Amino acid sequence: MAIAETSRSRGGNGPLARAFRRFAANGAALAGIAILVPMLVLIVCYPLILGHKPNDIDLLALNKGPSVAHWLGTDGVGRDILARVLQGGRISLLVAVVSVAISVVIGFLVGSISAMAGRFTDAAIMRFVDLAMTLPPVISLLVLASITGAGIVPTIIVISLLSWPVLARMVRARLMELRERDFVVASRGMGAGLGHLLWRHGLPNSIDILVVYATLQIAAAILLEAGLSFLGLGVPPPEASWGNMLNAARSTVVLEQYPWQWLFPGAALVITVLAINFVGDGLRDAFDPRSELN
Amino acid sequence: MRFRMLASALALAAAMAWAPGAPAVAQEPSTITGGFDVGPGGFQGNFNPLAATGGFTWLSLYFEPLVINDDKLESIVGDLASSYEVSADKLQYTFKLADAKWHDGQPFTSADVKFTIDTAKNGATGTVFAARLGAIASVETPDAKTAVLKLSAPNAGLLATLTQLMMLPQHALKDIPSDTLAKHEWWSKSPIGTGPYKFSRYVTDQYVELAANPDYRGGKPVTDRIINRYFANTAAAVAALRSGEIAFSYVEADDVATFQGNDGFKVIEGNSYVVNYLGFNQEVPLWKDVRVRQAVMHAINRDAIVQSLYKGAAEIANCGYVADHLLPSGLDAYAYDPEKAKQLLAEAGWDQINGSKPIPLLTYYNTPLASNVLAAVQAMLGQVGINVVPRAVDTPTYNATIYAQNPDWSQFPLVYAGLQNGPDPSAINIGLNEKQIPPAGANFLRIRMPEVTGAFDAALNETDDSKRAERYQAVCKAMNANLPWATMWVAKRYGVASAKLKDFVWIPAPAGGPFAAHPEKWALGN
Amino acid sequence: MLNFCLRRLAVGIGMLIALSLLIFILLRLAPGDPIDAYINPNVAMSQEEMAAVRARLGLDQPLPVQYLAWLGGALRGDLGFSLQRNGETVLGLVAQRIGPTLLLMGTGLAIAIVVGIGAGIIGAVRRNSATDLGLSVAAFLGISSPAFLTALVGLYVFSVLLRWAPSGGMLTPGAPFSLGDLASHLILPALLLSIGHAALIMRYMRASLLEVLNQDYVRSARAKGVKEFWVVVKHALRNALLPVVTLIGSTIGIAVGGAIFLESVFNWPGMGLLLVNAVETRDYPVIMGATLVVGACVILANLLTDIAYAAIDPRIQVA
Repeated sequence: MAIAETSRSRGGNGPLARAFRRFAANGAALAGIAILVPMLVLIVCYPLILGHKPNDIDLLALNKGPSVAHWLGTDGVGRDILARVLQGGRISLLVAVVSVAISVVIGFLVGSISAMAGRFTDAAIMRFVDLAMTLPPVISLLVLASITGAGIVPTIIVISLLSWPVLARMVRARLMELRERDFVVASRGMGAGLGHLLWRHGLPNSIDILVVYATLQIAAAILLEAGLSFLGLGVPPPEASWGNMLNAARSTVVLEQYPWQWLFPGAALVITVLAINFVGDGLRDAFDPRSELN
Repeated sequence: MRFRMLASALALAAAMAWAPGAPAVAQEPSTITGGFDVGPGGFQGNFNPLAATGGFTWLSLYFEPLVINDDKLESIVGDLASSYEVSADKLQYTFKLADAKWHDGQPFTSADVKFTIDTAKNGATGTVFAARLGAIASVETPDAKTAVLKLSAPNAGLLATLTQLMMLPQHALKDIPSDTLAKHEWWSKSPIGTGPYKFSRYVTDQYVELAANPDYRGGKPVTDRIINRYFANTAAAVAALRSGEIAFSYVEADDVATFQGNDGFKVIEGNSYVVNYLGFNQEVPLWKDVRVRQAVMHAINRDAIVQSLYKGAAEIANCGYVADHLLPSGLDAYAYDPEKAKQLLAEAGWDQINGSKPIPLLTYYNTPLASNVLAAVQAMLGQVGINVVPRAVDTPTYNATIYAQNPDWSQFPLVYAGLQNGPDPSAINIGLNEKQIPPAGANFLRIRMPEVTGAFDAALNETDDSKRAERYQAVCKAMNANLPWATMWVAKRYGVASAKLKDFVWIPAPAGGPFAAHPEKWALGN
Repeated sequence: MLNFCLRRLAVGIGMLIALSLLIFILLRLAPGDPIDAYINPNVAMSQEEMAAVRARLGLDQPLPVQYLAWLGGALRGDLGFSLQRNGETVLGLVAQRIGPTLLLMGTGLAIAIVVGIGAGIIGAVRRNSATDLGLSVAAFLGISSPAFLTALVGLYVFSVLLRWAPSGGMLTPGAPFSLGDLASHLILPALLLSIGHAALIMRYMRASLLEVLNQDYVRSARAKGVKEFWVVVKHALRNALLPVVTLIGSTIGIAVGGAIFLESVFNWPGMGLLLVNAVETRDYPVIMGATLVVGACVILANLLTDIAYAAIDPRIQVA
């Protein structure tokens, strides 16, 4: 009875509850959340607070530094930097989240089908995954991007196509282990189809990998989008994205004389990615029951 | 003990390796390093003058043409041809050749001129001159120092074409089969020219080194070596210029501010001879009504863009030309008037034609300045109800889109592009004349305007030099009235040279010129 | 073991062929061919002239014919000529560029390994101290910063402002070769490259070492009275290094592709820049040939890592 009371007062003792407590005890993870939540609120709600729109040009206020009228200054066509940083946050996060969602779906499907289906299918699919991993990222990036052209949708496609193989491998490794367990064998014996196996057994048992992967991959996708925009692919101007705002830093004049045009998007990018990394790391430690030993 | 000896030995070796090249040689050769192929006039990695569409500034350091532009691009003067004469019927050009020697000591003769022209007309060699030299029926060589070109029809642009045709040595190239000539390694390993510098070596994709030619007919060059460094983009060249690693480079208009007022550098400003325009694709219904095209002209505040984005360094164009002698009186200036634009659009029924549906605006300009300009254009057109969406692509994608066998018109209903409009005004004919619709020419917008075509034909066929300006004024008037293009401006281009360079001549000529730069006089002082 | 290697090599060759086919298809899907890349849009030219050049380069042949022609050549060791350069063979170009890439990546990785492992050990040994916290934050910053931004800022600060290092290239043009010249060009990009990798290696090292330090045999060693220094170095380190070795192995595999952002910002003549230029100018033979070489290196590196893994840990059996 004393034990039951203790369990209830601590909010349950299941693995999920324990994971949550571990997460809550992780200082860095909490710091990450403390950074991300206000940033997300700001990014989503900025039109309510800010008067300037991100694409409003003003040829009379070019390259002005931070001032009362424009809190973070203006860029080469007089657009407000703060509005563009926040709009850029929307675009960069949108691209990152959607592309990660797509690659999680593809990765999970490929990995789990490979693990649960027959040996031949497994071998064939794994060779295909190996091929996708051997594709040098440089080439795939450049060639895929020149096929699709610049733009939000093409960028999403390019990033998701580059990220799924690693997840497929991880999911397959986890599920291969699971395949020989009694409950799966029993399930099969009762005539469960592939779909049932994936949905009822595969998914719940790989969700921790998926969550951790997704979080860390969002951070990577933001950096990848920035890199693509830097190379002239990715999200093209006049649409704002953190990546294409950083592209301005290529010119020594901007780098030197108008630092606000790249310092602010750069800082926003680094801080967001940092916070997401903290959270992702915290999630990974939280889901790993052995981390309490450390 | 052993460890300590080893450590000191390592330290000594490191110190010796690190010491910046101890001057074992008594006299280091004087060297000018520059980014000569940076910017739109350059052509990095191209060594074959017959296949060159740019990079002539560098090529003219070791190759020479028969005639060349002067250093203001105002007239054509002799180079390897010490003088030339055009017959009264314009069908015969006689060139008297200068006394020059190839870099391997052989004399330059009229046989080389005949060989060069024949090779340049032979399509199998990958030449880009075949069409432009098509009017030449034959080349005669009455003696070693005279070459006579006989034309089948008068060709006003022939001399301009010849300024870019570098003379090639027959004795060195005659045994190379035509179809391997284009990409032969001779060009980048051991080319032979007649210029003030001779080819020394090429480190692939990094730089080209030339050494002085002591037997040059213009005198021994002052500087021993000239090095052309390749840069991935203009920003890298500007960084190298600022850190003192190179003495000269083309710079973007945006970067000029860093160098102005700095005594260590000299900013060179010049006419780009490229007219920037918004091209209306005539195959889509959007622009059929001239009132719509006029509305576009009125909606864009070209003056504001030139003042704020180009910092005043561009001239507004109301037709394909901005040179004073080519502008007639009575041109419509299409002043900035968004109200008038809206009115014109309403009259033309813009809402039925397109309304606010997005219109792709295709361009190959990828510089920050260009994307700022397009953002301004987008905002200004949006104000009057024309919703354009700029789309910047790389050059191969752009060319593939506009020159496709069966083009998809919806990909480029509007383009932002530039075309060379000088120094010879006939240069824009290829983009506007109905006879130049691909595959014959570069009129990819499928412009079929009888007034414009007629004016161009009259100007091209004009044999009387004194009437030529008048004819081109007529072209200008036709362009201004019919608006095949929404002509924007002609911008200035810039180069920056170190203040230490003496007697250095450079102008931002289209395709690099070539122009009489007299590189044998260039000197790097202290 | 021999059987395993032979089988993997055979599969590897099959994968290379599949890879080349995939790249070929993707390339032809991309808009624009080498001739389109050649035309300067400001100086218009006629298409008839260009059609002749296309025919000469064999670009008007049906696609399967073009691919099989390339494949036949590749199997004989002839990867063709670069379309945009004069008389340079693809193999020659790749051979020229692999050296600088390996030099840059090698130096960067070497610095990263030394710094990363060292920092990881310190972080694990002085867990949760101020040093550990500082190192962890630095590591996170290293992973979270975009590579090209650090490159641009680094270039500006150290080259343009302070003039401590040259602004690009591998050697000073025209100057005689000297190791000092090479080192001065190499140091800045290599240092910037090592930041990201050192951060990752440090985190893996720290996590792995922490896990090992909690094992029973480490506790026994401590109980026996072994000095802490030797506990870490002699007993724990060897086992903790295993996951780090895997990380390093997979990094080396992709290293041959070159660090395209760094090479692009510093104009370092390596494989990354070669590929970027080749895609810009649609130089098909160079793209195909370079991809093949990089792919082969990745497959080889994976094979070697698996063998090394089996060699280090006797519990792992390569099947």
